[in-house]
Amino acid sequence: MSKKRDIVIAGYSETPVVFKSGRSAYDFGGEAFAKLLQSTGVPKSEIDGMAVAAPLSECTNPFFPVYMAEALGLSPKWLNYSGTGGCSATGGVARAASAIRDGQCEVAVVLSADSPSTAWRANYGAYRSEFQDPVGVQGPPATFGLLMSRYHHQYGIKPEALGKIAITQREHTLHNENALAKFKTPLTMDDYMKSRVIADPLRLLDCVMFCDGANAFLVTSEKRSRELGLTKMVHPTAYAEITNLHGDQSCPDITETGFSAVAPLIYKHSGLRAKDIKMFQPYDDFTIAVMMQFEDFGFCERGQGGDFTLGTDLSFKGSLPLNTGGGQISAGQPGLASGGLNLAEAVRQMFGEGGERQVKDASNALVTGIGVIPFARNWGTSAALILEA
Amino acid sequence: MSEQKSTRSIPSASVYVDTTPFWDAARQGKLVLQFCKDTNQFQHYPRPVSIFTGSRNLEWREVSGRGVVYACTVIRVPGPGLDERLPLSVVTVELDEGVRILGNVVNVEADKVVIGQRVELAWDRLSDDVQYPSFRTV
Repeated sequence: MSKKRDIVIAGYSETPVVFKSGRSAYDFGGEAFAKLLQSTGVPKSEIDGMAVAAPLSECTNPFFPVYMAEALGLSPKWLNYSGTGGCSATGGVARAASAIRDGQCEVAVVLSADSPSTAWRANYGAYRSEFQDPVGVQGPPATFGLLMSRYHHQYGIKPEALGKIAITQREHTLHNENALAKFKTPLTMDDYMKSRVIADPLRLLDCVMFCDGANAFLVTSEKRSRELGLTKMVHPTAYAEITNLHGDQSCPDITETGFSAVAPLIYKHSGLRAKDIKMFQPYDDFTIAVMMQFEDFGFCERGQGGDFTLGTDLSFKGSLPLNTGGGQISAGQPGLASGGLNLAEAVRQMFGEGGERQVKDASNALVTGIGVIPFARNWGTSAALILEA
Repeated sequence: MSEQKSTRSIPSASVYVDTTPFWDAARQGKLVLQFCKDTNQFQHYPRPVSIFTGSRNLEWREVSGRGVVYACTVIRVPGPGLDERLPLSVVTVELDEGVRILGNVVNVEADKVVIGQRVELAWDRLSDDVQYPSFRTV
């Protein structure tokens, strides 16, 4: 299969991550949108497509993407609404690429905006009030505590490896002007080890914190981007996702993530291998998720994620730069706009705009997304995108 | 069977599919789960179709309630209805019938529960006529 290089991400924007901003997803979305127009110089009238992530703060409105189009003064010919949480940004880019190839639109904005720390209006409903909440599994930490316990049982967890992930990412946050101000202080291993255990063996410093924020991406064909006078662009050359891995089994191995199915596909489509990846911007709701992705993407063998973490320079100057903007764990998680945070950092680096944290060889990036925590399983949706210069 | 009355909130039945057989059986101290009659396999939580075939050829069947701890954690942070239960043992139990269920281990200190531990059904009485399945070590 020949690699597709016809579509590009030709612009990105990001708002600062803020805690309890008092502002809505619309306002954050508008800020990211205006910044995107400003940084690309593309007139609003050129935008004829939009992909929107379902936000926790506005998901009581089933017409949120239509309202957002109205708020932004857009008349999209193609409008996509994603309910895959942290996979919405990378998935939005892939869906926009398909829509552009199919002639449904020419210039799309992939917009993710959420402000759950200001207004949490989500209710997952379904089976949870009968079979999950009463047991005490009321949020992601409980599920990740269960997942970590099983991983530890099968492979062993080295806390210092998870601590290194938290510390490395926090170090990167110090160079990120958009990161949550509260997290702009270095962490030590002692801080990590003394961090409160909230759902054994999960520590507070293994977790993200819900915040408010937004990000946006301009997706179009390379041809159209050149007509628009754009010079900075990256090519999304491979994308794959899977939801509900082993969904037809009652007792799957919960230490197997959806990325075990996704990784072979993106490597096949891009022709790249783990050793070719110049930077890794994985979805990082919890440190263990990062470590398990090292394994599933073939940076190391299954069960070797701890040793790999401890033996690899993961700093932006290192052999495998990891979440060079601090990731969500250290920059703050802007609700379900979260998947765009890791993606924005990858595009920023590839545009050569990493500033103090610029990765030397930023010729490609692997970006991932994770969406929702299901009943007694691994996470719900796994998505991965490869970007190439 | 625990005679202690709980302060936990009482879940409403049949919020998303008909789960009255589960709650009726629980009232009698029996754990029934959904069973796919086409493939002879259990599934949990209850679904609108068989996760194995997509058909609605399902029935409710009693399970032994015996199994092994597949994953375990201890919840140490507050949540609705949890305040008086912390630290709370939360486990994924793999029942001998080949299906998993989330539950609490009620008879030992929360941090004494380990993966591989055999457990059996216990009941947490939520009101005079509502019981919720829990587990105890054997």
